[in-house]
Amino acid sequence: MTAFFRGLRIAGLMAAACLTLSGCLSMKFYVDPALPLVSKGELLPPPSPQPAHVLFEFRTKGNANTSATSELKGQAIAAVAESGLFSSIAPAADDRTAGQLKITIDNVVITDNAAAKGFGTGLTFGLAGSQVTDGYVCNVEYVHGGKTTSTTVKHALHTTIGNHSAPMGLTAMPARDALNQIVQQMIWNALKDLNKQNAFAKE
Amino acid sequence: MKLIFKALLVSSMGLMATACVSTPVPKYQPSVENSSLILQARPVMDVGAFTASDGVQNRKLSMRGSSLQGGSDGTYATYLRDALIAELQISGGYIPGHDLRMDGQLVRNALNVAGVKTGSAEVGARFVLRRKGQIVYDKTLQSRHEWKSSFIGAIAIQAGIDNYGTTVQKLIGQLLADPEFIAATKTTASE
Repeated sequence: MTAFFRGLRIAGLMAAACLTLSGCLSMKFYVDPALPLVSKGELLPPPSPQPAHVLFEFRTKGNANTSATSELKGQAIAAVAESGLFSSIAPAADDRTAGQLKITIDNVVITDNAAAKGFGTGLTFGLAGSQVTDGYVCNVEYVHGGKTTSTTVKHALHTTIGNHSAPMGLTAMPARDALNQIVQQMIWNALKDLNKQNAFAKE
Repeated sequence: MKLIFKALLVSSMGLMATACVSTPVPKYQPSVENSSLILQARPVMDVGAFTASDGVQNRKLSMRGSSLQGGSDGTYATYLRDALIAELQISGGYIPGHDLRMDGQLVRNALNVAGVKTGSAEVGARFVLRRKGQIVYDKTLQSRHEWKSSFIGAIAIQAGIDNYGTTVQKLIGQLLADPEFIAATKTTASE
C-alpha cells in the first residue's frame, strides 16, 4: 500500500472514530447513600398548617442556573406540597399571612479540586474518587411572622462514564429518576429538620 | 498528501459545524432574593414598552461562533420586560392598566464567553416609572456578572447561556433593592 492510501485510510478511520466516539460513552448515575431516606410518616404536620410561598432556585457553583431551575422547579414544589406541612403552597399573591419557604440547591462539582474532594470523601465515606461526583448543597429558609429558621442538607450523585465499575453497593438509575430522588430527599430532610425546630408552628 | 489534508479538513468541518448553533435565551426565572424583596415591598404596577438604545445588541449575542437569541419576540428588551413581569407576578404585583407604569430602555447588553477562564455579561437599562403619566422614578442601572468559564467551547457556551439570566436577575435585584424605587411605588399621585 502506498503512503497516500495508508494516509487516506488513517484519515478515514480518525473521522469515523470521532463520529462514533460519543455513542460509545455510556453514563450511569448512582444516588449517594449517605443522606437518610425520609418517609412522609416522619413529616408530622403542625396542628394548624399555614400557607407558604415556595421560592426555588437551582445554582451551579453559586451562580443561578435558569435552565435547571426551570427544569426542577415543578419537582421541588411538588416535594413541598407532598410533605403535607403546609395548608397551601399556592397562596393568593396578596396573602400577607403566608410564610416564605426559600429553597436553593447548589451543584458543586466535587471532583473539581482537592477541597471539594475532601467534601466528597467525607460525605460519601470514600465512595468518591474514581468516578465523577456532583455535590448538592440545599439551603432551606423559612420566614414567617418575622421569624427565620434555616437548615442545610448535602447530597451527592456519582456518575460513571464508559467502562467503569459501579460504586460499591449502589444500583444505577436513569438520570432523571436520580435527580428527582435527590431533590425530593434533600427537601424532605430539610423540612424534617425545620419541623424539628418548630419552624412551622403557629405563633 | 494534499488529499489527505482535504479529507481531514472536511471531516473536521463536519464535526465542528454541529457545534455552531443559534439558541434562544432560556425563559427567565425569578431569583429567590428578588422574589423575597418583591414579597416584602409588594410593588404593584403595569409594565409598558421596553426598547433598546441605538447600537445595543438587542437580538443576538455572540458566543464563540454560536449565538444566543433574544426573548419571546426575539429581542432582549422584551426579555428584560418579561423578566420584570415574572418577578412582579410572584406577589400579584403586575396589573395591566394600573396607574403606575414602568417603561424601560436597554442601554447595555454584552456577553463574553471568549475567555478560557472567565466569562462575563453586562446588562444595563434605564427604568422610568410613571404615575398617571408623571415621572416618579427615572434611573439607569447596570449589572455585571462573572463566572468560571472553560477552554472547551461546549462548556463555555452553556455557562454563558445559564449566566446571562443571572446578570438580568442582578439588574432587577438592584431595582427592587433601590429605596428610591420602593418609595416611588408607594407615593400616591397627590403627594
